[in-house]
Amino acid sequence: MQQFLQQLVNGVVLGATYGLIALGYTMVYGIIQLINFAHGEIFMVGAFAGLAMYSYVLPESMQGNPFIVLPLVILAAVIVSVTVALLVERYGYRPLRRAPRLAPLITAIGVSIFLQELVRLFYPGARSQVSFPRIIEGPNLELGGVTIARTSLFLLVVALALMVALQTFIRTSRTGKAMRATSQDADTARLMGINTDRIIVLTFALGAALAAVAGVMQGMRFVSIDFRIGFLGGVKAFTAAVLGGIGNITGAMLGGFVLGIVEAMTTQYLLGSAYKDVAAFVVLIAVLVFRPQGLLGERVAVRA
Amino acid sequence: MSVSASSAPTAATPPVLEARGVTKVFGGLTAVDGVDLEVGEREIVGLIGPNGAGKTTFFNCLTGMETPTSGRISYRGRTLSGKPHRVTESGLARTFQNIRLFPNMTALENVLVGRHCRTSQGVLSALGRGPRYRREEADGRARAHELLQFVGMDRHAETLARNLPYGDQRRLEIARALATDPGLLLLDEPTAGMNPQETASAMQLVRRIREQGLAIVVIEHDMRFIFSLCDRVAVLVQGQKLVEGTATEVQQDPRVVEAYLGKPVDGG
Repeated sequence: MQQFLQQLVNGVVLGATYGLIALGYTMVYGIIQLINFAHGEIFMVGAFAGLAMYSYVLPESMQGNPFIVLPLVILAAVIVSVTVALLVERYGYRPLRRAPRLAPLITAIGVSIFLQELVRLFYPGARSQVSFPRIIEGPNLELGGVTIARTSLFLLVVALALMVALQTFIRTSRTGKAMRATSQDADTARLMGINTDRIIVLTFALGAALAAVAGVMQGMRFVSIDFRIGFLGGVKAFTAAVLGGIGNITGAMLGGFVLGIVEAMTTQYLLGSAYKDVAAFVVLIAVLVFRPQGLLGERVAVRA
Repeated sequence: MSVSASSAPTAATPPVLEARGVTKVFGGLTAVDGVDLEVGEREIVGLIGPNGAGKTTFFNCLTGMETPTSGRISYRGRTLSGKPHRVTESGLARTFQNIRLFPNMTALENVLVGRHCRTSQGVLSALGRGPRYRREEADGRARAHELLQFVGMDRHAETLARNLPYGDQRRLEIARALATDPGLLLLDEPTAGMNPQETASAMQLVRRIREQGLAIVVIEHDMRFIFSLCDRVAVLVQGQKLVEGTATEVQQDPRVVEAYLGKPVDGG
C-alpha cells in the first residue's frame, strides 16, 4: 500500500511536467491545428537557458540562495524559450499559414532537429550530459511513509498554480475569450475585431513559457540535462495531449497526470524501469485505436 | 423616425459606404466584376441576384475577408484597410449565410467577443484585475445583456450557442455583430431557413436596427422581405451590377425579370 502511494506521488509529480509541456501542444493545436513538434525542444532550450543563467551569469556567492537563484533561473529560461518560440513562429510557421497542413508539420520536425543540433554544438559540454544544480537543497520530506523530494513538491505546487492561472485566464479574461474565439472560428474572430496574428503569437508565448518552467524543473529533479531531453519529453507530452483530447486545455493537464501515474505504476508493477518509456507509447497507441478524440475531446466535425 | 426612402447620398457628407469598381478574380473566374455601391445614412439597401452571382464574395471583399483584385472601398470617406479586424474597428459588421457563431461559447460570451474591439484591456491589467478592468468588464456585460434583450433572447444568455434553436442562432449572430458598434451592418441571407413568422420578426428587427441609426446592406432571396424593407435594391448577375433602383423600378425592369426571375412572378 505504502509502495502504491509512493508510486502515485511519483506519478503525479512526473505527470505535472508532462502536463505543463502538453499545454503548449494543445493550445497551439487548438488555435492553428498544427502539431508543433518543435515544442519539446523549446522545453529543452528552456532547461539549458536556466542552466546558463546559473553557471555563467550568477556570481558564485549567490548560488546558494534559492530565493534569488530560482526566480532568475526561471526568468532566463522563460525569456529564452519564448524568444525562440516566437522566432520559430514568425519565420518557420507564419509563412506557411495558408499552406497544406503537412508543410508546417515537416517544418516543425526540421526546427526540432535544428534546435537540438544548435544546443549540442554550441552549448559548452552539451555533447554529453551536463549537470544541473539542485537549487532547492535539504532532506526529503516524509509524509505517512511516502517520500517526496523538496524539488518535486515545489514542482507540483508551481505546476498546479500555473494550470489554475491559465484556466482562469482563458475562461474569464478578454484575451482568453479572444483565444477561444480564434480556436473555434478564426475568420469570424477576425471579423469581431480580434487580431488573430497577435493571438497566435500569444499562444506560442504562453506554451513556451510553461515549457520553460517545466524544463528547469526537470533539470532540478534529475540533476542533469542533455540535448535529447526535448525529444522524449516532447513525445510523452504530446501523448498526454492526445490522451486528454488534443485542443482541450483541461484535457492536456488530465492527460499529463494520467500518463505520469500510468508510467509510474507500470514501472513498479508490470514492466520494470528498463521498459518505462514503453508505457507511454502503449497508451498513445491504445488511445488512437479506441478513443481517438481523447478523454475529454469531442468528435471533430468537418467544418463547412 | 422619418427617413425618406431612396434618399440619394448627398455630396456634402461622405456616404456610409462607397465601393468603386470592386473586382475579385479567382483563377479564371471573375466572381465580382467592377461593382459600385453607395449606401447613405440609415439606408437599407438590398442586394439580390441568382445563386453564384457574387453577392457573398462582394461582402467578403467589403469586410476584408477576401482582398479585392481591384477597386476601392471606403467607409464614411475613409479608405478601408484590407485587414478584417481593422475593418470591424472602422465600423462594418456582418452576419453569415451559414451561421458562424462560436459554438462552444454561451450566447453572452459570443456577444462579449463582439465587444472585443471596443475594449482596450490587455493581458497585464486582466491578470492584475484593477478597478478599470472590473469597470470595463461590468460595462461590457451590461451592454451585452442589452443587446441580447434587443434581439429578444436575454433568457438564453447562458446557453451554449450550438444548443440554441436555429432562429435564435440567427438573432444571436445579429446581436454579436451589433456588439462591435457598427455604423453599417451587412446581413447575408438573414431569413434563410426561417418560417413566415420568424421572417416577419426578422424584418421587424432589421427596421429597429435602422432606427438605431445604422445603415444596412442585406442579401436575401425572399423577395417580399427585400421589396417591403429596402430603400434601394441592387441586382447582381454574374458578378456585375445589372440594375439599381427602388423596389418598384427593379421589379418592373425587364432585364431583371429576364436575367433573375426567369419567368413571370406570381402574386409576389
